[in-house]
Amino acid sequence: MIGKWRRLVVVLICTAVLPGCWSQNELNDLALVFAIGLDLTEKGEYEMSVQVVNPGNVAGATQRGGGAGGVPYTVISATGDSPMEANLKMSLKLSRILYYGHANLVVIGESLARKGVAHALDALERNSEFRTTSRVVIARGQSAKETLKVLTPIAKVSSNQIQSMLSHSQTLWGHTVEIDVWELFHDIYSTGVNSVVSGINIVGNRADGAKQTNVQSTEPEARLVLDGLGVFKQGKLDYWIPTNGTRGVLWIMNKVRQTNITVAWQGKPEAIGYHIVRTNVSVRPHMKNGKPSIKIRVEALGDILETLVPVNLADADQINRIEKLIEHSIWKELTAAVRNMKERKTDVFGFGEQFERNYPKDWRKLEADWFSVHFPQLDVSVEVNAIIRTAGLRIKPFKRTVELGG
Amino acid sequence: MRLGKGFKKVGEFNKNKRLGKKSGRKQADSSSTEYDGDMRNVSRAPLRDSLKANIEHVRRTTGGSPDVVVRKFVVGRNPGVEAAALFVDGLVDDKNVYDFVLEPLLQSNIPPQKSGKDLLDFIENSLVAVSGVERVSDWSEFFSGLMEGSTMLMLDGVSLALKTGTQGGQFRSIEEPTSQLAVRGPREGFTESLRMNTAMVRRYIRNPYLWQESMVIGEATQTRVSVMYIQGIANDKVVEEVRRRLKRIKADSILESGYIEQFIEDKTFTLFPTVYHTERPDIVAANLLEGRIAIFVDGTPFVLVVPALFIQFFHAVEDYYYRFDIASALRFLRVLIFFLSLVAPSAYVAATTFHQEMIPSALVLSLAAQREAVPFPAFIEVLVMEIAFEILREAGVRLPRQIGQAISIVGALVIGQAAVEAGFVSTSTVIVVSITAIASFATPTVAIATSARIIRFVFIVISSMFGFYGLVIGLLFMTLHLCSLRSFGVPYMSPLAPMIPSNAGDTILRKPIWAWKERPRLISQNNIIRQEPYQRPMPPHRTGDTPPADTGDKSPANTGGTPPTKTMEKTPASSGDDKGENGE
Repeated sequence: MIGKWRRLVVVLICTAVLPGCWSQNELNDLALVFAIGLDLTEKGEYEMSVQVVNPGNVAGATQRGGGAGGVPYTVISATGDSPMEANLKMSLKLSRILYYGHANLVVIGESLARKGVAHALDALERNSEFRTTSRVVIARGQSAKETLKVLTPIAKVSSNQIQSMLSHSQTLWGHTVEIDVWELFHDIYSTGVNSVVSGINIVGNRADGAKQTNVQSTEPEARLVLDGLGVFKQGKLDYWIPTNGTRGVLWIMNKVRQTNITVAWQGKPEAIGYHIVRTNVSVRPHMKNGKPSIKIRVEALGDILETLVPVNLADADQINRIEKLIEHSIWKELTAAVRNMKERKTDVFGFGEQFERNYPKDWRKLEADWFSVHFPQLDVSVEVNAIIRTAGLRIKPFKRTVELGG
Repeated sequence: MRLGKGFKKVGEFNKNKRLGKKSGRKQADSSSTEYDGDMRNVSRAPLRDSLKANIEHVRRTTGGSPDVVVRKFVVGRNPGVEAAALFVDGLVDDKNVYDFVLEPLLQSNIPPQKSGKDLLDFIENSLVAVSGVERVSDWSEFFSGLMEGSTMLMLDGVSLALKTGTQGGQFRSIEEPTSQLAVRGPREGFTESLRMNTAMVRRYIRNPYLWQESMVIGEATQTRVSVMYIQGIANDKVVEEVRRRLKRIKADSILESGYIEQFIEDKTFTLFPTVYHTERPDIVAANLLEGRIAIFVDGTPFVLVVPALFIQFFHAVEDYYYRFDIASALRFLRVLIFFLSLVAPSAYVAATTFHQEMIPSALVLSLAAQREAVPFPAFIEVLVMEIAFEILREAGVRLPRQIGQAISIVGALVIGQAAVEAGFVSTSTVIVVSITAIASFATPTVAIATSARIIRFVFIVISSMFGFYGLVIGLLFMTLHLCSLRSFGVPYMSPLAPMIPSNAGDTILRKPIWAWKERPRLISQNNIIRQEPYQRPMPPHRTGDTPPADTGDKSPANTGGTPPTKTMEKTPASSGDDKGENGE
């Protein structure tokens, strides 16, 4: 009892001194990584590039930190037999500790994507700092390193720019898809789905993209542009769906939020512009006598945004006919997408997963040759219901519209 | 000669103090030429017959202090009896002394045959026109009466003195309290006069069951202490415990209620206050009505209230005067404020040095940019700024008001701007420290804000070593410690832990006043029911079966500020019947 307090004090001192300050890092000892690029060199080594932000040149509010003239980030890269080795080798070029907690983008070079991303993703997924909610894009036709180097005009750090592009483009236009590392990782190891990842391209003069001058003109020499959807087969990039063909695919995947559809009217092509503000897709698998089939139901709600021909939108009859046209247009796009995928034998819609969930027993029989036999022969029916909500602020057309349109 | 004597006295006093009582008493016995007893133990020897000897004794004991006034006169005519009135100048109300004590004695016709004790009787019964008249036979009582502000009358040939209550003198008048301000609510605060303070409370609770007990604590200071409670609401056991703890105090001096607080609190080694103190009579009244006990100490405007609960320190008096929704929102805010003032700097240190991933990317960039040029680790930065702030605050409190402003300007410039521009600290640290500072000022009671001030530093150190992990463990220990505390037998965290649902309506939430059915259960254990249920205001046709006349009869009795005696004598059992009656 005498030593009770003394013992307690000793224990307290030990707990304070012995464990030290694990994992304590001052903010200015950290190199904040905002984007990771993964490439495969010609020798077959991994090349890892990281976008390390130079905070003083990004956060506009501070007066201190190296002057506003500097570049917002630097790209550092290293090669190694594995991404991990490359990561550690980067310390040869950097005065600070790489910190992946804020990385929000992974760019995979096309060369690596073609060879398979499973190994690289495993390294990322295991890392305790890295977040698997980071978005993934594929550098189309160039290396990831080159992509990361391009300075972007509005968001100072290009990883933020690409991330916003992905999310806004998906919700506003519906031609690209926002996929994070975890989804890609999961899809690669799933037997009933092929994964899709948006591609990113550099448009313009690639060599100038990395220079500060790129963001000093109103029209940058090099620009990052989202381009197409890369389809993965067994963890490897198989082929690209061009941008104009991506919407049907994404629509069935229920990734489209808003988009625009134009239909012909009175012989004029693309005469009426229909803007979808809300759409929902339900995919129902069915098994009949061991034969799988899929029913897709699309609900779309939207506004008439533009008419190049006079349409009296006060007339319910006309509205109904326009709705029918829109439904047909959507139906054509979706069935074309399904046909296309069947020909390619890639089930990016995850129909296989639907069967796995709903008919687990039957799925065991289908699983083995789902992609080669059952998916291409799958009976898919598409049903579309489109509703015109409003016609903007104008109901009856101006008379002169005819002349102007003509 | 006199000076020499004075010096000798001081020396002897010190010696007595050092050697203890025994030698002091010996001293008193051996020589009567100096004085009787020591300052902590005034002699209980009886008064003598001779007026001259008595006056001489008083003179000696008080060291001939000029404020002890001895007014000699003769009572009656031929032969008349020599008499003297003694009082301490400044402690007495002059008007009382001259008009109601001396004047009747000098003016009236006293039957000539009266002398000695008869005369004293006559004076006591027929002449002195003030209250509090008492006979005093020994010196101890004599001096305590004299020092209280009574006028002592002595007659030649009588070994008794007559104490007449002429207390008075100058006090600070009633002013607005400075420590607990309220926008809405009474503006008066306690003063330094005990009697004035108790009267203020009695004006709130005009009820004969508001009981008071008086005692004198402090052997040297002879400070008057008053215990106030409502008989029938306060728990008798707690009252007894308060009495016991107060009686146990054998202190030399009690100069402020803080002295008492430290003697009677349940636990010394805690950073949290277990005794509530306030400057506002309305708070004391409200607490008395909840069954608490107030301790008034003469000479200080701060009144102690026990038992104190943790949540009580977050209640501002206005909470009860505002409507319930606003009051509840403000209380939520206050708990948030306390939490902020406790953990804001430590959370900042933890997040920036351990958990950078928890900070949003845009913010981490901005923080990193600010820290680029700062030479110290975040921990040192925060610690230095916190200490700088504490220095400023301490300086601001102690400085005269005119200079205080200058300090705040210097502080704002030095800490706010120059330190950042010089690259000593980062802007974000300044923001965090200032938020903490403002939060600690916004806590409604100073006592709990001070606890947070100290604990904050502990948390900063812990989180600089262990990050949020350490911070959470620190908070856990704090919570455990809070749950282990008791204030006069009542769990400190009640009614939250232990959870008492019927009392939880006045914790962080504050239910509408009409929905308060019960007093705090653990505090007032014998009279739980506070008021009649179902008093929600509503249009007359919806009040149900009760005829309007009936409700008209009942409600005024309860809605008026005074709790009716009827309610107080109720036991929970009988009130249960009452409730049933009303519910149907």
